[in-house]
Amino acid sequence: MNQPSKFSVWNKLLWMFLKVNILSPSGPASVGLLYKEAVGKIMTEARFVEAVGFSNVLPGSEALKLAMFVGFAAGGVPGVFAALMGAILPPTVLMFIVATILQSYQDETWLKSLVLGMSPAVTALIVMVAWELFRTSTRRKVDRRTLLIAALSASALLLKISSPLVLLGAGILGVILFGRRSYQ
Amino acid sequence: MDLLIQLFWVFIKVNLLSTSGPASVGLLHDEVVGKLITGDQFTQAYGLSAVLPGSDALQLAMYIGYAVAGIPGGFVALLAAILPPTVIILGVTMILHRVRREVWVSHFIDGLTPAISVLMLFIAWKIFQKGGADTWQGWAIGIVSLIAMVYKVPERIVIVIAALIGVFFLK
Repeated sequence: MNQPSKFSVWNKLLWMFLKVNILSPSGPASVGLLYKEAVGKIMTEARFVEAVGFSNVLPGSEALKLAMFVGFAAGGVPGVFAALMGAILPPTVLMFIVATILQSYQDETWLKSLVLGMSPAVTALIVMVAWELFRTSTRRKVDRRTLLIAALSASALLLKISSPLVLLGAGILGVILFGRRSYQ
Repeated sequence: MDLLIQLFWVFIKVNLLSTSGPASVGLLHDEVVGKLITGDQFTQAYGLSAVLPGSDALQLAMYIGYAVAGIPGGFVALLAAILPPTVIILGVTMILHRVRREVWVSHFIDGLTPAISVLMLFIAWKIFQKGGADTWQGWAIGIVSLIAMVYKVPERIVIVIAALIGVFFLK
């Protein structure tokens, strides 16, 4: 009887993503929160898992892709745009405010010291993320092929081959190396 | 105008070649540092995007766009970061059942991931050195940060504390 109108579904999507994006510091961290907000309410668990899987495989920012998948499942193509709006708005507004403030202090010494302190922590964070990525990629099969690709990429980078080329090459190598087994 | 086109192209490229926000950092660093912004600005951008709520990748894109070309730059970078995944998702949701069977897509990603990890390690080292952190204080902060993150201290807090230590104790 109380059938929700399409408009209210889009409205709900927009608010849900606004909330999730304000409360979570990063894309990967938002998955858990999103799960609680979306599963059982606007989509089934199976579709959510599928959405997470796809957003990890396709190129581009995964938080956005996840938002769009959830939006599509709940409200079709307009749902995609409602979810996208909700996911983009909070970081955009915040970032412009902070960027404006920081750019006007660019020559101050305290900002230089801030960067000096932040660099090692940022380095540590990147190392952590790299390790996490590597671990998830080898979870199914800790094998020589992954190590081979890693070693080849490292040598290519040491030889100053440009990074987009190295990544493309690694992907193609993946198709060749991992593809062979699946046909045996 | 040339700058805006350059920004647009860089972010389209980076977003097509990486599967997630965090994974794009290495590639992005190579494409913009020294060409569009300085290493210091990149560290600021990355630190901030990890600290502020919301998608890191988008914030990183906007900060870099803004630093290069003001508010229009921020919007161009945002647009270029959003476009590839949006087009792909709209396409994929329409042919979902077909793509699901394409094994080579997942093999491509399996090959891409170790290379991305290696690239990120290279970039991490560059940020560390160029950020002037290659001193005993820098190593100390770096190692303590790493240990803190291994023990699941939220990265936001680690970065804020490191930045504060910088402001008050490093010259």
